[in-house]
Amino acid sequence: MPAVQLLERDNMDASLNELMQTTEDYFGHVPELVKALANNPPMCKTITEFTLQALGPGRIDWALKELIILKTLRSIQCTYSYGAHEKIAADLGVPLEKIGDVANSQWQTSAHYSDAEKALFKLVEQIAEDANDVSDELWEELRNHWDNGQLLEVNAVITTFIMIGRVGDSLGVSDPVLFSKPLKNV
Amino acid sequence: MAQLPYIEPEEADEVTKQVYDKAEARFEMVLNIFKITGNAPEIGEKMWEIFFEILKDGQVDWVTKELLILKSTKMGDCLYCVTQHEAVSSRLGVSKEKQQDIVGVEYRNSPHYTEQEVAILDLCSHVVLNPEEIPADVWERVKKHYDDGQVIEILATIGAYLQVSKFGDAMGVELEDAFHGHQPVLFEVDPPKSKAAQKHLEHFKAQSS
Repeated sequence: MPAVQLLERDNMDASLNELMQTTEDYFGHVPELVKALANNPPMCKTITEFTLQALGPGRIDWALKELIILKTLRSIQCTYSYGAHEKIAADLGVPLEKIGDVANSQWQTSAHYSDAEKALFKLVEQIAEDANDVSDELWEELRNHWDNGQLLEVNAVITTFIMIGRVGDSLGVSDPVLFSKPLKNV
Repeated sequence: MAQLPYIEPEEADEVTKQVYDKAEARFEMVLNIFKITGNAPEIGEKMWEIFFEILKDGQVDWVTKELLILKSTKMGDCLYCVTQHEAVSSRLGVSKEKQQDIVGVEYRNSPHYTEQEVAILDLCSHVVLNPEEIPADVWERVKKHYDDGQVIEILATIGAYLQVSKFGDAMGVELEDAFHGHQPVLFEVDPPKSKAAQKHLEHFKAQSS
């Protein structure tokens, strides 16, 4: 049983109506994590709106964002939504072998990953281990491949999923499928 | 030095300017960590709303949330967050002695902490270290004092400060000049475990003196 009650739309505060409509339109349903967060409307609203931004096309390709999310969850040993993000990546056309290569150090020698992508994975692992210790050399490598807006976005995606992984696992909620509608309609 | 440029108010786009205005109205200055999000305005716009919501009384008192912020960011050796929130906690009336007792498991035997504060600080440690191993007795003690809405606010505060502390540290966001001269409270009794964070602390102390 999750640590808090999961609220259905009928039992949620009226201030969440609009957000729940957006969430349902976006995913095709309201994820369990959002139902848990709904016990606190202001926290539910702000965290869901911020997280929605990480889930979809942005300054970097959506499929790459999903791989970054998978690497992040693995690096902090969190399991909330891992399967759902594998499915999103696969639905976005990422080969299964590339998704598998997210594991441990496989990506470092994987032919599926470009140098630009590998630099991002190095950043993920370093942030998970000690965010204080991201070297100037790694930043130089990152800047060689990505612009400032993209790097800000990557940093936001990584840290958002550190938050989501920790909160989701603490609550004990499960979202095996995040998008219950075709991704081409997102 | 920060790894991405700080976008100053005069060079910021309209969305970012609005975020800065709101930040300045709440915190009396536009902090460096806000300025770095000017590199992707659409992200700053959503991200800071979480913190505007946390940093006030909600279903959980602001001062209680400050304890969670100090605990979670100290565990990640975030000099930037710890320093800022030592200052905020002091302004909200948390004594230096109480702040210092938050390190390690000192708070458990400290006369400055109530049973309910000990419960949520225990929860905080587990969330930061390994949410797969939150013992049933921790949940029991938390739930004795806090309802579901408050539990969400507690977890959201911990989660959001893990987010922002790692976000800022990864990009090397530095403490503002206004904090130079601040005497570290938590790191004084419990130095950073990270060697890189230790260097940041020494650099900060040199700037301060």
